Amino acid sequence: MPARARGRDECGVDVPAVSVEHLSKSYGTSVAVRDVSFEVQKGEVFALLGPNGAGKTTTVEILEGFRERSGGRVQTLGVDPADHSTQRWLRTRIGVVLQELAVEPFYSVRQVLSRNAGYYPNPRPVDEVIELIGLGEKADDRVKRLSGGQQRRLDVGLGIIGNPDLLFLDEPTTGLDPSGRRETWELIRLLAASGTTVLLTTHYMDEVEALADRVAVLFGQEVVASGTPSSIGGRDLGAVTIRFRLPEGVSPASLPMRAEPSDDGHVEIHTEDEVRVLHELTGWALEGGHPLQGLSVLRVSLEDIYLGLTQERAVRRIEGSEQGGSVR
Amino acid sequence: MTSADTPVKGSFRGVSDIPLVARQVRFEQLSFWLNPIGALITIGFSVVFIVIFLSTSRHSTVNYLPINLGQYYVPAFAAYGIMAACFNVLAITMVNRREMGLLKRLRLSPLPTWMLLAAIFVNWMIIALIQIVLLLAVGRFGYAVHGPQDVGAFLLVLFVGLLSFTAMGVGISTVVPNADAAGPVVSLVFFILVALSGLYFPVRPGSGLATFTGVFPIRHLILAMVDSFNGIPGTSVWNDLLVVAIWGAVGVFVSLRRWDWSPKRG
Repeated sequence: MPARARGRDECGVDVPAVSVEHLSKSYGTSVAVRDVSFEVQKGEVFALLGPNGAGKTTTVEILEGFRERSGGRVQTLGVDPADHSTQRWLRTRIGVVLQELAVEPFYSVRQVLSRNAGYYPNPRPVDEVIELIGLGEKADDRVKRLSGGQQRRLDVGLGIIGNPDLLFLDEPTTGLDPSGRRETWELIRLLAASGTTVLLTTHYMDEVEALADRVAVLFGQEVVASGTPSSIGGRDLGAVTIRFRLPEGVSPASLPMRAEPSDDGHVEIHTEDEVRVLHELTGWALEGGHPLQGLSVLRVSLEDIYLGLTQERAVRRIEGSEQGGSVR
Repeated sequence: MTSADTPVKGSFRGVSDIPLVARQVRFEQLSFWLNPIGALITIGFSVVFIVIFLSTSRHSTVNYLPINLGQYYVPAFAAYGIMAACFNVLAITMVNRREMGLLKRLRLSPLPTWMLLAAIFVNWMIIALIQIVLLLAVGRFGYAVHGPQDVGAFLLVLFVGLLSFTAMGVGISTVVPNADAAGPVVSLVFFILVALSGLYFPVRPGSGLATFTGVFPIRHLILAMVDSFNGIPGTSVWNDLLVVAIWGAVGVFVSLRRWDWSPKRG
């Protein structure tokens, strides 16, 4: 058996589930993806985050072998997804949930899952998938009679029916209600816990925080930052906000450090040295008998980091294009 | 570690191929029959028309052939059955599947393209054959219209017609930009040409209408089928089949050039 087939390279080192180096894709003069690089390790939930048109779907479609790249190097489960000689094998090992619903309307839930199960050498049992996606009571209903959220869950079911090693989820919870989103998250967690590698694209920050081990932000067709959701963009290093409510009659001016009142009646302290400040603050409160109601330490949110990364680059692009225009 | 963990090059046999085609045909058929109104219209249209035509005018003689209209309409509608299933309905179905993302999903499954296309072809062939059998049965048992005189020619016409019109159906589906346009574009062209090509009334060869519609394959499939049923001296299916096959080749060429698994949303 070849070394790669065992998930290791010639030196015995684990091959990543996905490896992307300097990937580019153009349609004529239009650039869809520019110099994108990242790796997804086996068993990891990896999120690609970015606005519409950032190149997320194109990147994923190249990894699935659906589109051919213009440049760079790509490996999915150890093989080049553009290599036609291993494409059918690759498709038995991956699952795909497309951005838009794609399910035949006249089949029943069970029929459409049974049909697709037959394409794979080692599928999950149909009834198990029906239970996993929470459509047990709708198993014999026609697809066209399902609600939008139920159809979306069936779509996810079609993605996992082949028992994939690597699951591509292209905005899987778009259009789902809050409970449907949570159920899908639980399913993704379950799959990840069983060793399935998940590559997820999404617009939702809470989805990234809830699911992803690591995240890459795509903007302007390139990766502008990557890391864990808690550290990306220096999120773990920047200032934090300590918030609490002081008892009546106690002024923020009496605190041992500089604090500012907020609009909602709280007091806020901004600091990069939260351990020392918290120590001083709680010492002062215990000594003076001042309860600090609702005490919380807030890091800058993922959304703030994301908006900072993308807006900063958007401004730079506009400035760059204006300067370019004046030169011409 | 199972064999499924090993990247397999070339001809992959993770799932046996021929049973998979048969299975796909079964699901294609299921999809067709699970939409009973669509199925009824597709199959019933030609049967209803043949009953009307045979009831009213089967004893009249075709103006340029030594046969009566009954002997003309049954093979003409048999040809229509092929064209309606393999061109008209197939093209609309393919556009809808592409625009719904169903083709893209199948592309991302391990089902090879040739198996999908083979299953689609066999599916529509079955539907066309059901129509033809029904037409023959209605003609024979209801109106004493005989079946094909030259069975070999009939089977050849059937084979070339099914293949060529399937190719044309797939070909035209690739140029239709969206699902809304599929019905109007495909059906309008088809039904106008069907009417002008002699389905409802025989068109005398050499007339302006015959010259015009002779450019297209519909008239030629009707004539080839009429010839195979009646064995009329001095006629041959070969020239007509050649024109049909050339159009089939055009369909293959267009399909290969313009095929897209993704929605066009044009």
